[in-house]
Amino acid sequence: MAAGLRAVRRWGLVAAAPPGLAFTRSAFVVKKANNAQPNWLGVGLAFTTSVVLWASLITQHNEDVMEYERRKQAREHKCTRCS
Amino acid sequence: MAFLPDESRSLPPPPLLNKGSVWLGLVGWLSALADNAFNQRPVLRAGVHRQILFATVGCFIGYQLVKRTEYMHAKVDRELFEYMRHHPVDFHRAGT
Repeated sequence: MAAGLRAVRRWGLVAAAPPGLAFTRSAFVVKKANNAQPNWLGVGLAFTTSVVLWASLITQHNEDVMEYERRKQAREHKCTRCS
Repeated sequence: MAFLPDESRSLPPPPLLNKGSVWLGLVGWLSALADNAFNQRPVLRAGVHRQILFATVGCFIGYQLVKRTEYMHAKVDRELFEYMRHHPVDFHRAGT
């Protein structure tokens, strides 16, 4: 089965695929994957998303730490009545 | 209940790299490597952007899940200690 699919890909089989079959992985509609030419849009989106996720993770962690410290101070002030 | 209620912010936040975020980051990275393997690409050298993205998503989800886990555990502990406070008779040391 894998060998057959590999052969299909090498032949560059591109069927006149109706739009409804665009998301299937059927061997009759799959396009030949070209790993030699990068999908620059996909690469850019992936890197951008990663940067955004890391930035939001790190800022959220720092905000959490500050909020925890603030609430700890508030609790101590409440208990000792600002003595 | 919300995923992370407001009172969960009164707990000390877990470190950025905790067991949940590291493990799920590893899972994400390994799934990117598996995707390379299944598509007959060089496993480690191909699709580095994909590996980084999957690992990042794993770390992110892991961190949020660990925060929620710590909140749920703290909530249960609080309820337990409240119960113990209200029923001291049941929790005397054995022998007294």
